[in-house]
Amino acid sequence: MLQYILKRILLVIPVVLFISFIVFYIIQLPPGDYVSNYSAKMSAAGDVMTPVEMDEMRANLGLDRPIYEQYFVWMKKIVTKGDFGFSFNYNKPVTAVIKQYMGLTLVVSLVTMVFHYVVAIPIGIYTAVKQYTAGDYFFSGLSFIGMATPNFLLAIILMYLSYTWFGDPLLGLFSSEYVNAPWSMDKVLDLMKHMVIPVIVIGLASTADLIRIMRGQMLDELNKPNVVTARAKGLSEFKILFKYPTRAALNPIVSTFGWSLSSIFTGATITAIVLNLPLQGPVMYNALLGQDMYLAGSWLLFMALLTVLGTLISDILLAWLDPKIRTEFRGN
Amino acid sequence: MVLLHHKQQANGKIKFGGVHLKRNRFIIMLLVILSVVLAACTNNAGPAQVKDSPKPSTKVEEAPVTPTDAKEAPMLAKLVTAGTLPPLEERLPVQADVKIEEVVDEIGQYGGDWKMPWSGPGDKWGVGQPTEEALFRFNKTGDKVEPNVAKSYEVNADSTVFTIHLREGMKWSDGVPFTADDVLFYWEHMLTKETFGKKIYDAYYSVDPVTGDKALAEVKKVDAYTFTVTHKYPSVQFLERVAIDNKWFFAPAHFHKTILPEFVGDDKTLEITKQWGYEDPKVFLVETGYYFWLHSQIPTLRAWVAKTDPNSDQFIMERNPYFWKTDAEGKQLPYIDRIVATKIQDPSQKTLGTLAGDYNLLTFDSKEFTVLKENEKKGDYRIIPWTQPAWSSAGIQLNQTTEDPKLRKLFQDIRFREALSIGVNRVEISEIVSNGLAEPVQASVPEGVIGYQEGWSKQWADYNPERANQILDELGLSKRDKNNFRTYEDGSDLTLTVIESSTDSAAFLELLKKYYEDMGLKTNLKVVDQGTHFDMKYANQVPMTTENISVANVAFRPDTLVPLRVITPWFGHYGLYSSSGGKEGVKPEGDVALILEYWDKIKASKSVDEINQLSNEIVKLHQKNQWVIGYAGPTPVLIVASNNVRNIPTDAVWADEYRSLGQGHPSQFFIKQ
Repeated sequence: MLQYILKRILLVIPVVLFISFIVFYIIQLPPGDYVSNYSAKMSAAGDVMTPVEMDEMRANLGLDRPIYEQYFVWMKKIVTKGDFGFSFNYNKPVTAVIKQYMGLTLVVSLVTMVFHYVVAIPIGIYTAVKQYTAGDYFFSGLSFIGMATPNFLLAIILMYLSYTWFGDPLLGLFSSEYVNAPWSMDKVLDLMKHMVIPVIVIGLASTADLIRIMRGQMLDELNKPNVVTARAKGLSEFKILFKYPTRAALNPIVSTFGWSLSSIFTGATITAIVLNLPLQGPVMYNALLGQDMYLAGSWLLFMALLTVLGTLISDILLAWLDPKIRTEFRGN
Repeated sequence: MVLLHHKQQANGKIKFGGVHLKRNRFIIMLLVILSVVLAACTNNAGPAQVKDSPKPSTKVEEAPVTPTDAKEAPMLAKLVTAGTLPPLEERLPVQADVKIEEVVDEIGQYGGDWKMPWSGPGDKWGVGQPTEEALFRFNKTGDKVEPNVAKSYEVNADSTVFTIHLREGMKWSDGVPFTADDVLFYWEHMLTKETFGKKIYDAYYSVDPVTGDKALAEVKKVDAYTFTVTHKYPSVQFLERVAIDNKWFFAPAHFHKTILPEFVGDDKTLEITKQWGYEDPKVFLVETGYYFWLHSQIPTLRAWVAKTDPNSDQFIMERNPYFWKTDAEGKQLPYIDRIVATKIQDPSQKTLGTLAGDYNLLTFDSKEFTVLKENEKKGDYRIIPWTQPAWSSAGIQLNQTTEDPKLRKLFQDIRFREALSIGVNRVEISEIVSNGLAEPVQASVPEGVIGYQEGWSKQWADYNPERANQILDELGLSKRDKNNFRTYEDGSDLTLTVIESSTDSAAFLELLKKYYEDMGLKTNLKVVDQGTHFDMKYANQVPMTTENISVANVAFRPDTLVPLRVITPWFGHYGLYSSSGGKEGVKPEGDVALILEYWDKIKASKSVDEINQLSNEIVKLHQKNQWVIGYAGPTPVLIVASNNVRNIPTDAVWADEYRSLGQGHPSQFFIKQ
C-alpha cells in the first residue's frame, strides 16, 4: 500500500510538469498578449500608447522572448525560489494575489460542500427507500430541475427575488461597510447572510447530481443478498440500512471526492462573476482574458496538481472505505 | 490543529487492516479539515492591506450635524483638537491665494461617502478623472482654459513666453509646501528624462511655421511661486494643449527624490520597487509617476487621497486635509468625506447596485436609460443627462487603407459610402438601438459643439434603398452570385467584414447586416477580444468597425479626425505613414492629404482665429467625404445621482478632454442630510 502511494506520488511530478508546459503553451496561443490588452484598455480611457512604448513594455516584462525561454525561466524560479512569477494585472506576485482570495474561496467552497453532502445524501437514501412514493417523485423532480438549470440563471433569479422582496440583491460577500473592516461578530453575521444565495446556487447542481447517484446506488444495494439475510436475522430496519447498503452506496461518492479538491480551491467561476463574489474563479477568468499569463499559468498548474492529488486521495479513501478494494491492494 | 489533522489521517491508515470501520470517522475528518481551514482563513481572508483601515460606516452616523459656521469637516476638526493636524488657516494657502470654487446650487454640508462601482485598478481613470486637479482646466463652455492649481498667468504678445503664478502657502496632502520647485523638478527630473513611460508631450514643442522645425520649450523658475515656459516659436494653444496632454505639470519633489534612480541610485530604486511589491523598476516608476492617485503613499493636490490598496475589494479615498479650495463662505472643500469605490465583476452589477441604492453617484451610457428611468422613484435617484460631443451613437467606419485593393478602391469611392448610408433605415435603427433617444441623423458635429455645420446631419440621411441599389449597380457591382449577393465586376467574391472588440453593438450590427444584405452586400460580423482588435488595427486588418467619433475640438485633440498615428479606424495606415515619417504605411492623398496640410498649419499658427478657421476646414472635409457613416445621432451620458447628492451641474458637456465628471467640479458636490 505504502509503496503504491509512493509510486503514485512520484508519477505526479512528470504529469504535472507536462501539464504545466501544455498550459503555458495554450495560454500563449491566442493572438495578442498582455501588453496589447493593456494598451487597448488604456486607449479606451483616452490614454494612448505608441507602438514604441508597447515594445518597451514588452521588453520590460520579458514578453518579447520566445515561449520556451519564458517557460524555462518561470519553471526555474518556481523550483528554485518558490516564486510563481508576477501578475501584470495586479502588479503583485502571483502568490500574493492567490493568497488574497484564498480564505473566502475556501470558506464558500467548504460550506457549499458540506451543504451539498448534508442535503443530498439523506435525500438520496430517502428517495431510494421510499421509491415511487409522492416524496420520491417530489425530490426526483426537484433534482432534475436542479440538474437542468444553469447555476448562473438560478443566481439571477434569486438575486431578483431578493431585490424585489428585500430591496437588496445581496451582491458580493459583504455589505459595503464591512468589506475593509477588521473581523468581528457583525462581519461574520454579514458574511453568513450573504452566503445563503451563493451556497444554494453553487451547491444545487451538484446536490441534484448526487441525489440521483445516491438513489441509483441505494436501489442497487437494497435488494442484495446480504441485506436480505440481515433482515431475515431480525436486525432493525434502520441498522440494516446504514450498515450495509448505505456504506456500499457511498463508494462512487468517495471516489469522486478527490476530484472536488480543485473546485474547492477555485470556487465557482460564472456564478461568482454573476454574484460579484471575491473568489478565485473570477480572478482566474480575468487572468485568462487579459493574458496575465503567470497568474493564469500558476493557477492552471495548481489545478492540475490538485486534480492529480485529489485522484490519489480518492483512491486511498476508497481503499479505506471498501474492504474489497483494500484486499486487492494487499494482493499486490 | 494541523497536527491533529495528520494524526487523524495516520490513524486512519494504521487501521486499514483493522476490523471495524467507523462511519463517523469520515464525518470527524471532514469537520477537522473544515475547522483547520476556518482557523487558517481568519488570518488572510480580510483583503485589507492598510493598517489604519477605516472603521465601518459607523463613522458616518457618528458625525454630528454640521453647524453652518464650521469652516472645516468635523473629521478634520477632531484631529485639530487632538493636536495631530495643524489648524485650518495653516493648511490653506494665504487668504488671497485660496481658490474659491463656485458652487452649482448651494453651499453644501460636510460628510458622507461618494459610493461608486469600479472594475478595479485596471480602471485607473474611473477614479482618476473626477478627482483630477489640473494646472489649467477647461471652462464650462470648453473653449478656453482657466487657472486651477495655477493662480494666474500672463502671456507675451507673440505667445512665446508664458508666466505662470502658483498659490502661496499651498500644500501637498502631507503638509509639505507646493512651490515652483515641484514644477521644475517634474520638468527636469521626470518629464524630460521620461521616467514615467511617457514621451515629452507635444504641447511642449513649438513649431517653426516656415521650416517645420520642432523646438522644446524652456522652463525656468522666477521665484518660489512663479515660473515661465518659453517657446522658441509662437505656441498659441500652449495652455490648452497642456490642459489635455499634461494635466498636471508638477509632482511632489520631496516624494520622488526618495525613489527616482537619479537620486537614490538604481540599486536602491530596485529595492524600493520590491518593497512596494513590484517586480520591475520601470513599471514601478510608471505607477508612481503617472498613476500616482492610486497610491496612498504619494502626496497629491487632489481633494481626495487614496487610503487603501486599490487591489482590495473596496478602494477608499479620503478627504485631503490640505485641500486648497474653499466655497464662497470660506468652508474648506471637499464637502464629501470619502470616495468608496466597490469592485464589481460584471457591468450589470452596476445597474443592479444602483437600483438597490448601493451607489450614489455614477455614470451610465444611454442603453440603460429605460431600466434606470423605470426605477428612478424606487431607487431614490435622479438621472442627469450630459451631452457628449459625439458624432453618432451607432455608426460604421470604413478603413480607407484596407488591405484588399479592390475593397480599398470601393471604400475610397464616395458613391459607395453614399449607398451604404442611404440604404439603411435610420428611424428603425434609432428606435431599436437607442430606444428612440437618438435622432435618426448622419454622423456629424452636433449643434452646440465647436465645428457644427448647418445641414450636415441630414446629408445622405433619408432611407432610399432604390437609389442605393442604383448606385451600387453603377459602381460595377451589378453581378450576383448564386446566393444573390453582389460580386465584383470580374465575378470575385465581395464581402464586407465588420470586426468588433465587444458585443456591445450587437443589436445595431444585426440590423446593419440585414440592410446591407438587402442591398446585396454580403456582410460578416466578427467579434474578437479587445487586445486582438487593437493588434489587428495596427496590422491594418480591420476593414470596418463600429466606433463613434467623439471630439470636443479638433484643434485640441486631433486623434479622431487627423491621421497622425494608427488609432482611429477610418484612416487606418495613413496614420502610420505620418507617425513613421513616410517610411511605412499608406501615403495620404486627396482630401486626407489636405487635412494633414491644414493640421501642420494649425500647429504653426500665430492666432486663435486662424486656428479656429483651419479646424473648421478640417471638419468640412469630413462633411464632404463622410468617411465615418452614422446611423443614429449622439446620445447623452447619464449621470445617476441619489436625490441627496447635490450641486451636480445639469448642463455640462461630457468629454474626455474636460475630464468627464471632473467638469462638474466634484469637490463641491455634497450629500444633504
